[in-house]
Amino acid sequence: MAYEALDFYDVDSLLTEEERMVRDMVRDWVDEEVIPNIEIACREGVFPDEWRVALGEMGVLGAPLKGYDCPGLSYTAYGVICRELERGDSGLRSFASVQGSLAMYPIWDFGSEEQKNHYLPKMASGEWIGCFGLTEPDYGSNPGDMITKAEDMGDHYLLNGAKMWITNGSIAELAVVWAKLDGVIRGFIVEKNDPGFSAPEMKGKHSLKASVTSELVFQDCKIPKDRMLPGVKGLRGPFSCLNNARYGISWGALGSAQACFDSAKDYAMSRIQFDHPIASYQLVQNKLSWMLREITKGQLLAYHLGQKKDSGDWIPEHISLAKMNNVDIALEIARVARDIHGANGILDEYPIMRHMANLESVKTYEGTHDIHNLIIGRHITGIQAFTREA
Amino acid sequence: MNITVLLKQVPDTTAKITISGGKVDENSVSKWSMSPYDEYALESGLQLKEKTGGNLVAITCGPERTKKMLTDAAAVGADTLVHISNDGVTDSTHVQKLLAAAVRRFDSQIVLCGKQAADTNSGSTGPGVAELIDAACVTLVTEVNYSEGKFSTIRPSNSGTEKVAVDGLSVFAFDKGTHELRRPNVRGIMMAKKKQVESITSGDLGVVLDSSNVTLNSQNPPPEKPAGQKFEGAEHVNEVVSKLRNEANVI
Ligand SMILES: Cc1cc2nc3c(=O)[nH]c(=O)nc-3n(C[C@H](O)[C@H](O)[C@H](O)COP(=O)(O)OP(=O)(O)OC[C@H]3O[C@@H](n4cnc5c(N)ncnc54)[C@H](O)[C@@H]3O)c2cc1C
Repeated sequence: MAYEALDFYDVDSLLTEEERMVRDMVRDWVDEEVIPNIEIACREGVFPDEWRVALGEMGVLGAPLKGYDCPGLSYTAYGVICRELERGDSGLRSFASVQGSLAMYPIWDFGSEEQKNHYLPKMASGEWIGCFGLTEPDYGSNPGDMITKAEDMGDHYLLNGAKMWITNGSIAELAVVWAKLDGVIRGFIVEKNDPGFSAPEMKGKHSLKASVTSELVFQDCKIPKDRMLPGVKGLRGPFSCLNNARYGISWGALGSAQACFDSAKDYAMSRIQFDHPIASYQLVQNKLSWMLREITKGQLLAYHLGQKKDSGDWIPEHISLAKMNNVDIALEIARVARDIHGANGILDEYPIMRHMANLESVKTYEGTHDIHNLIIGRHITGIQAFTREA
Repeated sequence: MNITVLLKQVPDTTAKITISGGKVDENSVSKWSMSPYDEYALESGLQLKEKTGGNLVAITCGPERTKKMLTDAAAVGADTLVHISNDGVTDSTHVQKLLAAAVRRFDSQIVLCGKQAADTNSGSTGPGVAELIDAACVTLVTEVNYSEGKFSTIRPSNSGTEKVAVDGLSVFAFDKGTHELRRPNVRGIMMAKKKQVESITSGDLGVVLDSSNVTLNSQNPPPEKPAGQKFEGAEHVNEVVSKLRNEANVI
């Protein structure tokens, strides 16, 4: 049976025709190419290279960026793309988030004209994969204290340090790396073959298995002077990337939630226990009705935030709320869906357990759930609670 | 050279169909799509256009909602989009008259369409239009190729496949073809948005439709499938074999 997306309030009718066409294009591709192959990709722990090619051919990478052969779609369309990709798998959406919001975006916003012309067209077409190096082994929620540093050696920069948990790291042609130059955070473009740079893959994940996660190691890594992003200093650089990626995640998580709802509904309708479909029992209906309620609220949140992103009338706290809420409900929906599927819920014949395990990462990356609580808490009270020292 | 593709929008093959008052309730159809055989015709048209250059004209006859399908066709490369409003016309011969008049108007050398539409399955459009425009017609084709001013097609024959070459004005009605319709991309979608659908009526085409002598009496859903039967143990072998032979007619 074809996927019929749960859209109780017909929120998608608010999309433009162009946004709906982009949605259908990505949705069809996910149905035809991703869903039949995702479990194998997870078992083998690989991100299929055909997916990179297809995303490039569809022209969705860096969706909201304009110029330099980038798609130039709306932020709302970017959200819709994330939702459709994540219905397939969060690892696939992670690939697209990192490529578009974390690697292309900083070059697009803070790069020199030469950097933009050199990197963006090949990244939009999917020929070059990018990654984003912010997190370090000892600095996750607190990236401002990072220790990776850059030194100005006159005719080149020298990078030393290590990044961890870097999506796409080992398959990337280039990394946007945040490091301190004279104590100030700056962005640097490091290319795969730069001397002193390596990107070993991190193995053994129980989550986002179809996404590549790596360390980035810099040992006297020498890069040319023209690789620093001239347009930004300080945490504003990485944080503006994260704003865009987090926005996309607030849509993406709904894709996972919708996939879990879809499967739970079908299963409940056909599974007979005590002579009747389990969907006919009030406790199960309560679960399904709660899922529909939370998904519908999440859809309205994501759509409205999309409109705000498109009009420019937004603050980072708006994004924190949507990322936090939608990932939270998606994870809980996955857990309840697992429960409705009974023992079958743990099998890879159903997408449930995979989405559930994936969403554990999504809850943590791009600002943990509680870090977003603290961001909103600071907004409400004016008092920061990240650290004891003010 | 103009290449014309005739397209019909039909309920998606996965959409639920409900009947009310002895007729298919169109309002309850959750998803409308391009008829699958037409997709093969469109893909073939796009490939021919890439070889011969020229203009790909996509024509449909149907209600307002069918314009969306033309925009979808534009997203994969159709150049001219023509919508003939059908004013409730359902008689195939009427639809053929309208389509034939539109084909003439765009002066195409070849016309591609599906062998039948996935909803009515009557299969009369290709041959009917060919008759009206005085064209050659090859049906059940899986491929159309072009070289040195000639079109050759592949179609099934008694003993495999045959290659049929035609000259001059021709209509090709597609079976499941060799190439699936390509996926659109963002660039195509953005271009499609800018393309106007040209809306024309029977009046614009100078077609006078006489009163139809076809009446659709009623439509019924297919009979429900009887529940499956389960047999366990060797003692049922004879019974199962007899059922497979006499009821299912499969052995
Ligand atoms: C699969 C995956 C892919 C990733 N991809 C990337 C990538 O591409 N690039 C990149 O740079 N990073 C990436 N990350 C890293 C991710 O951004 C970090 O894991 C995240 O920022 C959290 O950091 P941490 O894991 O060090 O957790 P910690 O910061 O150590 O947090 C542990 C716990 O402590 C809580 N906590 C921390 N500080 C406070 C506080 N002040 N008050 C209350 N609670 C607090 C957190 O909420 C959390 O519950 C990825 C992570 C994963 C799992």
